[in-house]
Amino acid sequence: MSTQASPETVAPRDGGDGGVPEPSPTAGRSGPRQRRSGGWFVLPFAVCFGLFMLWPVVHGIAMSFTDESLTLAGTSFVGFDNYVEAFGDAAVWNALGNTLFFTLITTVPLVLIALGMALLVHTGLAGQWLWRLAFFAPYLLPVAVVTLIWQWVYQPDLGLANQLLNALGFGPVGWLSDEAVAMWAIALLTVWWTVGFNFLLYLAALQSLPDTLYEAAALDGAGAWRRLWSITLPQLRRTTVLVGMLQVLASLKVFDQIYILTKGGPNDSTRPILEYIYDVGFTGYRLGYASAISYLFFALIIVVSIAQLRFFPRQEG
Amino acid sequence: MTGAHPRRHDRFTVDRRRFLRLSLTASGAALAPGLLTGCGAPAPGGDGVGLKIWDLFSGGDGLLMDEMMDTVRGGPDGFTLDRTILEWGPSYYTKLAMAAAGGRAPDVAVLHLSRMPGYAPGGLLDPFDLELLAEFGITREDFPPALWERAQWEGRLYAVPLDTHPFIVFYDLDVAERAGVLDGAGRLIQPGSPGAMLETSAALAEAHGGAGLLFGHVTDPAQNWRIFNALYAQTGAAFDLPESGPAIDTDAAVRVVSFLQELFDGRTNPNHLDYFGALASFTESRGAMIAVGEWELPTLRSTGIRLGAAPFVNVFGEPAVATDSHSYVLPRQERPDPARRREAHRYVAAMLRQSLTWAGAGHLPAYQPVLAEPGYAELDPQSSYTEAGDLAVLDPPAWFAGSGSLFQDRMSQAIQPALLGRASAEAAVDRMVRECADLLDQPNPVR
Repeated sequence: MSTQASPETVAPRDGGDGGVPEPSPTAGRSGPRQRRSGGWFVLPFAVCFGLFMLWPVVHGIAMSFTDESLTLAGTSFVGFDNYVEAFGDAAVWNALGNTLFFTLITTVPLVLIALGMALLVHTGLAGQWLWRLAFFAPYLLPVAVVTLIWQWVYQPDLGLANQLLNALGFGPVGWLSDEAVAMWAIALLTVWWTVGFNFLLYLAALQSLPDTLYEAAALDGAGAWRRLWSITLPQLRRTTVLVGMLQVLASLKVFDQIYILTKGGPNDSTRPILEYIYDVGFTGYRLGYASAISYLFFALIIVVSIAQLRFFPRQEG
Repeated sequence: MTGAHPRRHDRFTVDRRRFLRLSLTASGAALAPGLLTGCGAPAPGGDGVGLKIWDLFSGGDGLLMDEMMDTVRGGPDGFTLDRTILEWGPSYYTKLAMAAAGGRAPDVAVLHLSRMPGYAPGGLLDPFDLELLAEFGITREDFPPALWERAQWEGRLYAVPLDTHPFIVFYDLDVAERAGVLDGAGRLIQPGSPGAMLETSAALAEAHGGAGLLFGHVTDPAQNWRIFNALYAQTGAAFDLPESGPAIDTDAAVRVVSFLQELFDGRTNPNHLDYFGALASFTESRGAMIAVGEWELPTLRSTGIRLGAAPFVNVFGEPAVATDSHSYVLPRQERPDPARRREAHRYVAAMLRQSLTWAGAGHLPAYQPVLAEPGYAELDPQSSYTEAGDLAVLDPPAWFAGSGSLFQDRMSQAIQPALLGRASAEAAVDRMVRECADLLDQPNPVR
């Protein structure tokens, strides 16, 4: 039941179809006294937000123009030096490329497989609860557990993956040691781990589709495929936008599983931009430079966000 | 639609900030350990508050450390101690550096001696008071000269070595006997040349029926560097990292990597194992010998295999073993309390005298008087690699090098494809030199 509750609250908010305009008239009617008391309610959050979100953002910008180090070395203003260095730093571009590649090869399957799984479960397979549980369960695991499991799956000598290949008559694959394979191995793990969440969003959306549409379509003689293409998928568009958006953002910030599994190796082929920032700032002590790279990444996120803002509303309209 | 747009926009704003929080503004969160330490730190001169100790012993040696600390807690002069165990790795050194930079560090911390060049010059450590140490019975004569020398910076002592923990070989004694690679006294015959080492591993493999020498390196941030560092030092060449640029004998380096390729050929000796895979292979008796740090002794001993040990095999002539040393340091404090500082010195001295217990973990005591104690000679197999302590090769002194450093990770990553047969030895060495040059190009943040 809870699975239905969450998307019902999520979907309308995301849809932005003008269905929830009540708050603004209420706000307009509220008097100054009401507004003042509202301020007190907001205050605790505002303080935390200011301290832990706004201030670090501002401080980070300031830091990116200095050569601040994590140690005691003096801090001096270096202007745009850090940014210039970042633009010329091949490791930045390599790491950025890795992050984008990872985003591409995880977002697509994480949307399509989740949709496929939700459709299968929704067709009324027996034991729906079991499928739901099985598809969602990995998502409940913490990252350390997931990587530990997969470390053994990908273990070169004793691992499940290579044992399977061996049984099928193929040679061993260097899952985490081959530059051409490592990122795919991590993507596979990530899909296994997180597809359950998207699956749940899709399943809930499917369950809330009005039966009347299907009844009408059936009366008009539409077959199962017709109904899928002409009713289900279009009706799911809003959910797809939501899932895709959340997924792109989640994939762009990939760090944990890569850091634990490969530390960015072999030969930096899996090092995401966030790990490079971490390496530079916290292992290399160069906070100023690390900040500058963060803001370049920030700029990229803004570009992605604007692209999404422009692209998706138009599609919806 | 007009109503939808601003709300959508708000959501994105939050998302962007969430990103920032994760990446760059982690600096704020990461400052927390330092701040928290500060909160917990006693007011200067505060009596009755335990000496704050940071260490990174979370494995089998952590339990021995517990035992040693319990011992020094007892008695009329017992210490009040407040121990914090943190996981070894880059993050330990980040936390320690931050705590020291904040000036509210623990009273005593454990640091790998190889990391000292990244700490002492930047003012992150306070020097030891030699007179105070002498008062508690600790003098330079108690340590191997090379180790003592390495703990100095600008003529002052910044670290007191507790141990050396070399990269060595463990082997199955029964198999080694059958393979005929032991001398009359039951010790491993040091091969002395690349050809002889290949023969040794082939003989071991044959006697065992599985692999000769096991070595786990895939995706490991240090193993390849350890084995390279030992073998390279055996060639007699120098690996220096002055600021003018890396001074590396590339011919010697290529010889070492080529030899490693020949040794780990994927037939006699597997070349695709990772760290835990190699350990598991040895404990499941799928190989005769394993090249690994002596700190794995507690793990290996629990397997029931009759265990032999030796300093890492001498292949290129000059005896040398890749080593590091757990050392006690006094992280910088803004306003050190003389009474607590004195207590810290007394604590370090007391712990050094517990070195025999520490040797139980496989580590070689740096405090030499312990080696003469009757109990030490009985420690088996520790006593069979004691000489490894004298052949110690640490990382080249540079702010970015040392245990758990980016440098070791970069070097290991450069060598990995060569061992896996995906790159030539020359390409691997080229990459090592390039990586060193890149690291040297970075502005030194500790000066």
